[in-house]
Amino acid sequence: MTVVRRWPQILWLTVVWLLLWGRVSPTIVVGGVVVAIVVTALFPLPLVPRLPFRPWPLLMLAGFLVGDLFRSGLVVSVETLRYGSRSRAGIVAVPLLTRSERVVTVIAAAAALTPGSFVLQIDRQGGLLYVYALGLRGAADAEQVRVQMRRLQERVVAAMGVPA
Amino acid sequence: MIRDVVSSVFLLLGALSCLLGALGLLRLPDLPARLQAATKPQTLGLLLILIGTAVRLEFENAATLVLVILFQAVTAPVISQIVARSAYRTGTLDRDLLVIDELTARVEREDGARDAGDDRGK
Repeated sequence: MTVVRRWPQILWLTVVWLLLWGRVSPTIVVGGVVVAIVVTALFPLPLVPRLPFRPWPLLMLAGFLVGDLFRSGLVVSVETLRYGSRSRAGIVAVPLLTRSERVVTVIAAAAALTPGSFVLQIDRQGGLLYVYALGLRGAADAEQVRVQMRRLQERVVAAMGVPA
Repeated sequence: MIRDVVSSVFLLLGALSCLLGALGLLRLPDLPARLQAATKPQTLGLLLILIGTAVRLEFENAATLVLVILFQAVTAPVISQIVARSAYRTGTLDRDLLVIDELTARVEREDGARDAGDDRGK
């Protein structure tokens, strides 16, 4: 009966199914639910305590990330055009705000959308993220990366963080 | 008519962004920097092109495009992170291009500490 406890996965798979069909009709909805249940039963993911779901901060985070995607496209393009092969980068250590593995995963994925950077290495014991950032020129830029990553982390934690 | 204009603007901006990404692949100096070019402007370009396409389509076909950008946005970071990590470990990353590197400093410190520990053990 664990299938019932996996209802969020079933719901999500049904939504994907509906998006693939592009329309909603009783047959498609029922078909989607049946397929989702079969898939969930055949390929069970480990059951873990659910992360809190806070719709409004989550929506804010999504909006922020879309904005970030636009800015990073611009930043990387400018770096390419202005500096090209003379472009410089840096690896900056950023303190982690959470201990939860799944939240750290989301933070690392979100960091890949921030302008010019992604996570190279995660040190969970030390609570540090090592972030590679393109377009660094000096220590002040490194500090800016830390501030940026801190803001991003705060948003992710607000959306789905759990007290550690 | 307005739809055509809006759609063309999005499509052209998207194509421009993809072009800049391709240019970045050629011009940027090392692997992680090129990965940035392969992920950032490309994802943005794809997003703009999909928006441009969605404007011209009926709703039921446009809905599927949401899945395209969603999975692109979810998978690209994972892949770029894995490739970057391997690049760092195998030394493909050009250290001379880094203005600051707090990871190498740490790895060296740890190796140093380990060596010192070995000495004491002997």
